Amino acid sequence: MIGLGHYLLLSGIVFSVGIVGVVTSRNVLKVLLSLELLLAASNLVFVAFSKFNGDYAGQLIVFFVILVAAAEVAIGLAIIVLMYRRLATIQADELKEMKW
Amino acid sequence: MVDPSLVWIAYFAPLTACALITIFFLRSKTWGSLLAIAGILTSFVCTVLVAVQIFQSHPPVEFQQSLTWIRLETLTIDFGFLVNPLAIMMLLVVTGVGSAIFIYSRGYMAEDPGSPRFFAFLSLFAFSMIGIVLANNFIQLFISWELVGLSSYLLIGFWYHKPSAADAGVKAFMFNRLADFGFLCGILLLWGLSNTGNGRSFLFTDLAQAVSHISPHLLTIVGLLIFCGVVGKSAQVPLHVWLPDAMEGPTPVSALIHAATMVAAGIYLLARTFFIFEPCATALTVIAYVGGITAFMAATLAIVENDIKRILAYSTLSQLGLMVMALGLSGPMQGMYHLTTHAFFKALLFLAAGSVLCALHHEQNIWKMRGLLEKMPITGVTFLIGTLALCGIFPLSGFWSKDEILALASQHNVLLYWIATITSLLTAFYMGRLFWTAFWGKPAASDHTHESPAVMTYPLIFLAILSVVGGFIGIPHFLYPQEAHQELNMRVALISSLVAVLGLGLSYMIYSKRPGRDPLETKLGPLYSVLKNKYYFDIVYGWYVDHVQQSFAIALSWFEKTFIVGFGVHGLTAAAKASGRTLRYLQTGLVQFYALIFVLGAIALFFALVIQL
Amino acid sequence: MPALFFYLFAVLLVLASLAVILARNPLYNVLALVVAIFALSSLFVLLEAFFVGIILILVYAGAVLVFFLFVVMCLNLNAAVLTSVQQSRFRLLGGVVGLMFASSFFLATKSFIAAQAMGPSSVRGTIETIGRILFTDYLLPFELTSLLLLIAVFGIVSLAQGVLSTGKEKGN
Repeated sequence: MIGLGHYLLLSGIVFSVGIVGVVTSRNVLKVLLSLELLLAASNLVFVAFSKFNGDYAGQLIVFFVILVAAAEVAIGLAIIVLMYRRLATIQADELKEMKW
Repeated sequence: MVDPSLVWIAYFAPLTACALITIFFLRSKTWGSLLAIAGILTSFVCTVLVAVQIFQSHPPVEFQQSLTWIRLETLTIDFGFLVNPLAIMMLLVVTGVGSAIFIYSRGYMAEDPGSPRFFAFLSLFAFSMIGIVLANNFIQLFISWELVGLSSYLLIGFWYHKPSAADAGVKAFMFNRLADFGFLCGILLLWGLSNTGNGRSFLFTDLAQAVSHISPHLLTIVGLLIFCGVVGKSAQVPLHVWLPDAMEGPTPVSALIHAATMVAAGIYLLARTFFIFEPCATALTVIAYVGGITAFMAATLAIVENDIKRILAYSTLSQLGLMVMALGLSGPMQGMYHLTTHAFFKALLFLAAGSVLCALHHEQNIWKMRGLLEKMPITGVTFLIGTLALCGIFPLSGFWSKDEILALASQHNVLLYWIATITSLLTAFYMGRLFWTAFWGKPAASDHTHESPAVMTYPLIFLAILSVVGGFIGIPHFLYPQEAHQELNMRVALISSLVAVLGLGLSYMIYSKRPGRDPLETKLGPLYSVLKNKYYFDIVYGWYVDHVQQSFAIALSWFEKTFIVGFGVHGLTAAAKASGRTLRYLQTGLVQFYALIFVLGAIALFFALVIQL
Repeated sequence: MPALFFYLFAVLLVLASLAVILARNPLYNVLALVVAIFALSSLFVLLEAFFVGIILILVYAGAVLVFFLFVVMCLNLNAAVLTSVQQSRFRLLGGVVGLMFASSFFLATKSFIAAQAMGPSSVRGTIETIGRILFTDYLLPFELTSLLLLIAVFGIVSLAQGVLSTGKEKGN
């Protein structure tokens, strides 16, 4: 029997993978993609709980999350393109003007 | 019955005057003096009213009212007053003589630009002195004691532009402070030893009962420590050196503080707390001898002084010694009697000297004065009355009070009796020297000095009258109503009168012819330089401060620089800088690093809150 | 039977997400994410959330990830740029942190992991049911998101202006 716990565990694994991706990626594109993974894992949890609680609210939240994620990705990519034009690289380490 | 509000008004009127002058009237000469005079006169009137109330009943009432100021579990400090015949008589002297001097000051300080400040300080002094007289417990007394010392410092150094005046003020304060250390130790020791029905107490009334339970040896130590305070405030040997230098202050200050009231506070303290000293014969002997030595030494030093105020200062020292001696011989009544009459004629003498100084534009050398009796009759006559009273000539007040002390001495301690008698001889001699030199004879033809204005002469006349009748108004009876009055000792009276006349006559013979130089310089030979150097006290103290004190201060300064400033202050700054330098490395500027810290923080928070590890 | 499908898609999801972070070529990263989205959508369908499942594919995989691909192509990442991307210095620490996170997540949801049956299956996320709720209870957020998208468009256009102008100056 597949219960709520399975979905939660799965989501936790995907989320952890996403965290590792955000922290350890040298490539800013990969960082953005890992962010998407985090969002995906959260969506899974929402829908699972929606089914479990008998409440549509979870699915609606997912709907809105997808929307906002789209907007966020668009802007993020615009920034990355700008960065590439300016620094001619997509290494995250190069963005260090705030260093002490 | 006694109305307590009168006492409180008498206590706080001068303080109100001081506050008003300081806050509003520091630029107005008229208001400054008027407010101060109003303050002290209010106190005087209230005191008189309370005195009437006290003496209405037979026996006279003793009245106490106090508020609890600090109450801890083991410590209670009160603020209040204890009014008994002794206190009210002293208060009459303080406020009465004080009023006269305040009025006189209005004329004396008329041209001084700092006169409002002067009156503010004087009012502060009046408040503090009244505090000493009225206090019903040791702590309040000590606070007023210190305040009086502060006022004295402020007033001695009133003309602070003069370096000698500023130094004199500091000297007075330092010696007082030194003595007060012993005083405070004595107070605390007594408190520690006291054991009344409900714990320890500072109140005089409680302590009077508690002393019967304290062993005489400990009580002697307490007594001697408290006597330290007296040695400082009343300028006994060896802490007497500040009083002659205190003459740097304006003359009304010398009159009020350093003749009539503040220096008498020590004697008043001894009389007020005599229950501590009564059982201890050793302490009393020490006190008596210190007094006697002071009296004699001061008199010897007065005969070589040429400054009119300094002569009077040493005379004060000498008379204070006599009073202390009287108390040491278990005669508080005699001591206080002499304190009262001394207040009258010494204040008179100082004020008359001030009148002279005013007229001669502050020329203080007696060899530059001549024939003042003719030029300034009122001043001259009152000065003569004061002199005669001081020498103890019948029937002026000084005769009666000094006689009581001499009679007491002749009964208890013959050595001290003869010391006191010789001191009286010297007293008559140097006062005569002063009078014949400055006041007697014909003035120079070109001398234009004139008498002082009425605002200054009326107080002189008032005090002169008191000096004359002071012996007849029955002061001892008011001070200590319970004591039976003693008969006059004819033998002692005759000897003292003889001695006084002898002294005056001797000085007449030497000085009335106005020799060019003081013949004492040659006649005394090597003794003259010893006296001129004031028995080398100042030189010894100076050496001590320069060498011992200074080395100690330098050592402490080194300690402070190295440990407190070096380790403390600079150490803290170094620590702050070092921590800043290390924490800086957290600012890497890399977003991923920050994200890592985020996640670590989230995990930590999670463990702390949810799992509560 | 449903259990088998669940495990199938779950394994696919995990492998795809691992590929997202481990692959070298950025194209492979994006394509791996597309696969992950497909797996996720299938899991949604298993949970009877049909609407959001389809929306996921249409919007996410269809628009967003294609946009990603556009940008990856556009940046024209040549071999030199790719090989210069070294290993992150945080990879060990990152791995540890990930494990820590996973374990804390596991601890947090321990009570749920005891396989509880899924609740009443009265919730069927069809277009009809979702639509009904969306246009009655959640109308306000729905309208606000349109505003949000407008703002996003503004943002991108203003950012792109700089790109366009520099592009013109360089003669691209």
